[in-house]
Amino acid sequence: MYGFEALTFNIHGGYLEAIVRGHRASLLTAADYNNLCQCETLDDIKMHLSATEYGPYLQNEPSPLHTTTIVEKCTLKLVDEYKNMLCQATEPLSTFLEYITYGHMIDNVVLIVTGTLHERDVQELLEKCHPLGMFDSIATLAVAQNMRELYRLVLVDTPLAPYFSECITSEDLDDMNIEIMRNTLYKAYLEDFYRFCQKLGGATAEIMSDLLAFEADRRAVNITINSIGTELTRDDRRKLYSNFGLLYPYGHEELAICEDIDQVRGAMEKYPPYQSIFAKLSYGEGQMLDKAFYEEEVKRLCLAFEQQFHYAVFFAYMRLREQEIRNLMWISECVAQNQKSRVHDSVVFIF
Amino acid sequence: MAEGAGGAAANGGSDEKVLDFLDSVDSYLTTMESLAPILRQGWFDLASARHSMGVFRVSSASLDLKDHSASTYLQMVGHESDDSFVGQPSFSLCKWASADNKSCCSEEEIPDSQLRHRGTSRLSENQEQNSNGDDSLKTVDDLVKKERSKTLSVFGTLVSPKLRTAQLSFETALEVLVEAANIRSSMLSAYSQVQKQMEDTREGEIGPIP
Repeated sequence: MYGFEALTFNIHGGYLEAIVRGHRASLLTAADYNNLCQCETLDDIKMHLSATEYGPYLQNEPSPLHTTTIVEKCTLKLVDEYKNMLCQATEPLSTFLEYITYGHMIDNVVLIVTGTLHERDVQELLEKCHPLGMFDSIATLAVAQNMRELYRLVLVDTPLAPYFSECITSEDLDDMNIEIMRNTLYKAYLEDFYRFCQKLGGATAEIMSDLLAFEADRRAVNITINSIGTELTRDDRRKLYSNFGLLYPYGHEELAICEDIDQVRGAMEKYPPYQSIFAKLSYGEGQMLDKAFYEEEVKRLCLAFEQQFHYAVFFAYMRLREQEIRNLMWISECVAQNQKSRVHDSVVFIF
Repeated sequence: MAEGAGGAAANGGSDEKVLDFLDSVDSYLTTMESLAPILRQGWFDLASARHSMGVFRVSSASLDLKDHSASTYLQMVGHESDDSFVGQPSFSLCKWASADNKSCCSEEEIPDSQLRHRGTSRLSENQEQNSNGDDSLKTVDDLVKKERSKTLSVFGTLVSPKLRTAQLSFETALEVLVEAANIRSSMLSAYSQVQKQMEDTREGEIGPIP
């Protein structure tokens, strides 16, 4: 029953909640970002990060540094923390933590399949995969010719198997089919994660419902904007939207027929939580939409830490770290390209 | 008197060639200066796209290594207009010449509109010409959009608008480079003409060697 988690949560989850709150305290602050934004070279960034928890991961990297190296090493830190938490988690927290990585697993599957289609070397593709989304039989994906084979040979034994029922066809894999497969899998994953959190109940269900609904809505907007001017039909576009969220179902009906960013704005401004996001953008401008959505997401993720005895803090922490890594990637790119005046275009402060 | 007039004409001619050369140098330097900011913007847009779509989606691992024809060709046409100097090559871009579409569909090439000849009012003729022109423009636009999407499809079919902006920036940079190459070609040609003029003038002053 909601409200009684305080009696029993700490038995199995107290230690890990304390760990994750400790990790949260080590997220970079606005002062750290201000210092990083003033760096002249990537080595300066490395020097500033050496005083943070990223220090041990970057200290052995030789100069000249590359932006991808910084992202890779910072991601390794996140992976280590995640694995530490996962190995000490009991059910249902362990399943919850695994759910957090399924999105990366989907991205990795699509990367391997697309790369194989483009005759890339499998080893090279495996090196480019996100470490959080790795699974044992991932290299075998390269042999599949269509989705049916993909499922039968490899994915049937992975956590993604239940998500394939909606997109199994015998059509050969091509760029459009792969994109539809990616988005259909992600839709099925989000809905499954949502149902799982609802089953957990309590504060976890309440907070995760809000966070996942926001994620579903943001995906709907991104799919709409990215598909404008492409061959994706309105019906196909509608099929890629999740069946939950604030925009479901009427907002989705409007988004499905949008042909430009201003029509998307018109559809979204009817929903008060998204009015403030679109109010920050001028008409016709879509460039800052990503940053506006990230800012809103960070706000909601930080609020998850205001309550105790629920699993949403783990989800929130992982997402905040990913945002931090995105910030570091952006700052590194601006420094490397000598575009420091544009660094605040996309940095989202967490604290 | 006649010699003086001839000398003045020759001087005027050489001045014109020098001016042509200086104009072409100015154009070349201006064009090259405009290239750097376009490339900078392209790289910045690419970084924005990687930030938006994720570094794992926009990476070199996505590029296609299968045998396929280039989407853009550079055509070089060299001609000799006079035996006395090397022909001035000219360069042109043939964009989005994919396997499905053998001929180029560059934005500048608008297919000839098929105009029907009518004996009726001029207004309806003009309207028809405009609508035929609009239709052909729309066809070219659609083809161009399709070819652009095809080139970007290595990163997925639903890509961020920032990636499309980066593509446009690099396309513009390519056009500027070709323009610079043409201007450089005419600059070198003007330079060789000026040099030849100076040699002729020197020989004229010294006179034939006994």
